[in-house]
Amino acid sequence: MNNRQRFNATMHYQPRDRAPITDFGFWEETFPIWYTQGLPRRIKYRYDKSNHVDYFGMDCGLDAVARSAEMRIGLSPYFRPKVLEDRGDHEIFQQTDGVRVLRRKFLGSIPQHQAHLLTDRASWQKHYKPRLDPDDPRRLPKDWAERVQRWKEPDRAEIVALPGGSLYGWIRNWMGVENVSLLLYDDPAWFEEMVETVADCIIGALAQALASGVQFDGCGMWEDMAYRGGPLISPKHFKQFLVPHYRRITDLLHKHGVDIVWLDCDGDISLLVPHWLEAGVNCMFPLEVGTWGADPIKYRQQYGKDLRIMGGFDKHILQGAPAQIEEEVQRLAPLVEEGGYIGFCDHRVPPDVPLENYVFFLEMVRTVWGHGVNLRPMGVVC
Amino acid sequence: MENSTILQDLKQAVVDGDYRDAVDLTTELLEIGAAPRQILDEGLIAGMNIVGDKFKTGACFVPEMLIAARAMQRALDVLRPSLVDTGVEPIGTVVLGTVRGDLHDIGKNLASMFLEGVGFRVIDVGVDAPADKFVEAVRENQAQILGMSALLTTTMSYAAEVIKALEQADLRQKVKVIIGGAPVTAEWAARIGADAFAVDAATGADRCKELMQGSAL
Repeated sequence: MNNRQRFNATMHYQPRDRAPITDFGFWEETFPIWYTQGLPRRIKYRYDKSNHVDYFGMDCGLDAVARSAEMRIGLSPYFRPKVLEDRGDHEIFQQTDGVRVLRRKFLGSIPQHQAHLLTDRASWQKHYKPRLDPDDPRRLPKDWAERVQRWKEPDRAEIVALPGGSLYGWIRNWMGVENVSLLLYDDPAWFEEMVETVADCIIGALAQALASGVQFDGCGMWEDMAYRGGPLISPKHFKQFLVPHYRRITDLLHKHGVDIVWLDCDGDISLLVPHWLEAGVNCMFPLEVGTWGADPIKYRQQYGKDLRIMGGFDKHILQGAPAQIEEEVQRLAPLVEEGGYIGFCDHRVPPDVPLENYVFFLEMVRTVWGHGVNLRPMGVVC
Repeated sequence: MENSTILQDLKQAVVDGDYRDAVDLTTELLEIGAAPRQILDEGLIAGMNIVGDKFKTGACFVPEMLIAARAMQRALDVLRPSLVDTGVEPIGTVVLGTVRGDLHDIGKNLASMFLEGVGFRVIDVGVDAPADKFVEAVRENQAQILGMSALLTTTMSYAAEVIKALEQADLRQKVKVIIGGAPVTAEWAARIGADAFAVDAATGADRCKELMQGSAL
């Protein structure tokens, strides 16, 4: 089986040779620390470029899958990213979404929002709505025709996924969480207008890609709209403002045979899962375990095979003893065998996971979930 | 209309997040001679306590909490001069910040709103705060409570450094320490010597009230 066959068989509960061995990447700070722990410096990781997959003995990295279509689904053009002020260990930086943030130069944290361009209807009309035109010619990469030709080859091994954008998380970032929260009460019509505009943009862009006739393997959306205490908005508001537009997106995807739609949301997502499922979003990613104790096995018991899951391996266990890592790999093995579940660290691997632990984890995963597959990891011997 | 009815309406205005009504009702109460302390306790704080209970039980979420906090704060802006004139003191002073290495502020900001909502004075030392900034703020403001927020497994351990710094500054016995944040647990907070743990902003405000009365973890 090639990567694509294995991925699709896994997500559709079909017979397969073994589990896909993959990851969700690493923090920027992780590899610099791992270099001091013995990782060869020639092994690099960046979201958009890396050579770590073969070294660690994996099939593929999910970052590569997520960007495989190389489409611009959201703001186009981007705001120009630039450093606005150097403050020594920190800097004020304008991101590609127009938000000005305070960020650390090393050992990063999610940056602190300092200023937002999106503050009212006028700024929406001026700065953001014009960047959400689905017909912007920059939405498809320049080599789209060549990619389509490659993707249409029979027995394609490459997993190709469409980007599905975001209906809440983007707007939340553009305005700030406090402002968008107040907006739900101060001007719900404007919030709804923004969600609809974003959805129209996503749908228009996806339609262009789907018109190519390529059989895409899935679609990845992102929100990050939950924390340990649950969702950042009530399920009532979620259902009222967002579900109808998720439905529009998934209906389009389903019409073109794309039936796996995953959604990236950290935090305790339990109150939102049934509404995502109702909306056609059928795979939760990376299923952060957290202090709220999310468990992929319990989610499968509750929702059955309608719900797929990717991730769900507690990063805290990766920080612990090898025996605990092995125990958790074994505990999740029946779920892996059942299908509809691809296991990996429940977020990007943080720098406080020792390199030797991560190598051991992958060894266990290849042995147990991978049925002893030899993917020839190089360099480090467990 | 009797004071008690208007106070009930003010409490409800806070719960509903109606800042215009909250301001108007506070103004009306002052004009008819209601005691500022009574307006604060039976109107504003009572309303925020209801919101806090709803937040803790999942009956309301961040937007509902924020509109209530806004209503409370706008009303408090009207009430504050009268509170000062009549010598009404906050129930305590809390120094609050996100620990060094961490730039998250939403949890800290929500905690600050709840703490002010229940009558505390809050000194916010911001994000990425080093130990000496926490210590200095505690000393300068004679704070009874130090609250720390940490959202990452890589930064939470810095809270232990801050507690050590309080010991070295001879302040540890004079201040109670409470910690919150996504990776923080009650067991971990106890292990590093904190006095309390907050699972969310509303519970944190309750814990701070208990700390003022001498309760621990």
